[in-house]
Amino acid sequence: MTSAATPPGPSLSNQVRRALLEPVIPTDTTTSTTSDLSIDEELNLRSIGWEPVELVSAVSLQSIPYGFWNWGQGEIEVASRAHAAAFLSATTRLVREAGAAGAHGVVGVHIDRAVHPTFVEVSLVGTAVRPVDRSQRLSRGVFASDLSARDFTMLMVAGWEPLGLASGASFVFAPRRSMSSTLQQQTQNVELTNFTEAMYSARESAMQRMQEMAIDMHGAGVVDVTVHEGPMAFASHAVGFVAVGTVVRLAASAHQSIQPTAVVSLDDPTVAFDAQTLA
Amino acid sequence: MTNSTNDLPQATEHRLEELEHGLFTSDLSVNEFLLIKEVGFHPVGLVMGSSIYHTGLQTRKWSQSQELTKLTEAMYNARELAMTRMEEEAAELGADGVVGVRLDVNYYEWGKDAAEFIAVGTAVKAEDGVSRLNQLGKPFTSDLSGQDFWTLRQTGYLPQGLVMGTCVYHIAHRGLGQTLGTTGQNVELPNFTQALYEARELAMTRMQDEANRLGATGIVGVRLEEKSHQWGSHTIEFLALGTAVTKTSEQVTLPKPTTIISLDN
Repeated sequence: MTSAATPPGPSLSNQVRRALLEPVIPTDTTTSTTSDLSIDEELNLRSIGWEPVELVSAVSLQSIPYGFWNWGQGEIEVASRAHAAAFLSATTRLVREAGAAGAHGVVGVHIDRAVHPTFVEVSLVGTAVRPVDRSQRLSRGVFASDLSARDFTMLMVAGWEPLGLASGASFVFAPRRSMSSTLQQQTQNVELTNFTEAMYSARESAMQRMQEMAIDMHGAGVVDVTVHEGPMAFASHAVGFVAVGTVVRLAASAHQSIQPTAVVSLDDPTVAFDAQTLA
Repeated sequence: MTNSTNDLPQATEHRLEELEHGLFTSDLSVNEFLLIKEVGFHPVGLVMGSSIYHTGLQTRKWSQSQELTKLTEAMYNARELAMTRMEEEAAELGADGVVGVRLDVNYYEWGKDAAEFIAVGTAVKAEDGVSRLNQLGKPFTSDLSGQDFWTLRQTGYLPQGLVMGTCVYHIAHRGLGQTLGTTGQNVELPNFTQALYEARELAMTRMQDEANRLGATGIVGVRLEEKSHQWGSHTIEFLALGTAVTKTSEQVTLPKPTTIISLDN
């Protein structure tokens, strides 16, 4: 699926957000199955009465106007907005494709994300799944989740269900330090408050945006959150923070205890010390 | 950022307020999440602390082994800042502790002596309402994963805090005479051996001191990391990191482990 970089209009992210929250009702078509699940994962899924339907993917590219990365102050809003729009439209497309294939959700979504000076790229690939038993098929929206099929199974067994992917991104300028303070502090141990504060501000807005998406989806929490942070490779005074996670809520009336058993594996031990490394 | 009792930025407090209203965030995997629930804890939020820190300069003598106190201080200080900020976030959430803490040092192109020290973990709260704060009245911290935390709780132990000791050490170069004198022979290199020993001992002792301060009965999951960061091959940081634990008075019956042969590859 190819998609030209569409210039982000002011209302685009709202449109996409609305589209995302609008439930996609799965159709009832049956086609042959494609999936990137391993045998174990497929068996896991079948054990809770679900089956894979189709391998689905989506891409979105959003352009960032030229020249916003190197000078300025505060948040680089064009970049944050472009990231949010790219993520939202990619997830919307993924969910629509899954809905069209008759699935109830997408598990094991592999997220490829890249921020370039002039555009943001988000591409998603995952396996669309649905309950085998037709009577179990709900009329609620299709979810997308980066949890593996294994994790999805565990979650369902414990009485929880995924609702969708939530993400938040923020890019912020770190003010430059004056030459004199740089020189003065050359030999000292000091905290670089300009960078620390910029990093904090990026982190807070990004986490906040992710949480707001989770609240919009009526989730109880976000699990398996992955964060990517640090300065942008192409702009030394801009720092970025991106958080992505799966929104979950309790589906059953109460949390089901999973009662784990302690096991001792009789496999060959992993080598902790290798004399060869001493050479 | 000043050193008042709570130096978190305002945006943080706003985010944490949202978490207090019931939504939780966590970087726990599903398995870890379920295991934490299993031992009666509920995640309340992903907590973080970070500090971007400029380390000073210290001259080293080419042929003398010594601890570089200024660098040791910098590594301690910056990690402490990050850890304290993370603990403050957890305290703000009313959490009993933080599990799965990761302490990372990242170097970026901001300059060769500037590094980001970051602490990230998931704040958890006991579901039975009984406080599990540590002896200092603060949320406990621990680098144990959800699986390890579950196993530890089965034995009736409770984490008290993530303890660490660090030592940046300069190891003397060998003189030309020494090098030539030992060419072709099997010999121990006492200066290297001694320097590495001493540095490790210093780091371990400092870690144990921290555990004693917490009134812990032991330290589990200790890792000893050796890193040169960006100081060249003869300057090494020894970092000892572990979770201090105490035994609670809870009655436990240890489950008998089942032996399995995994059919995985």
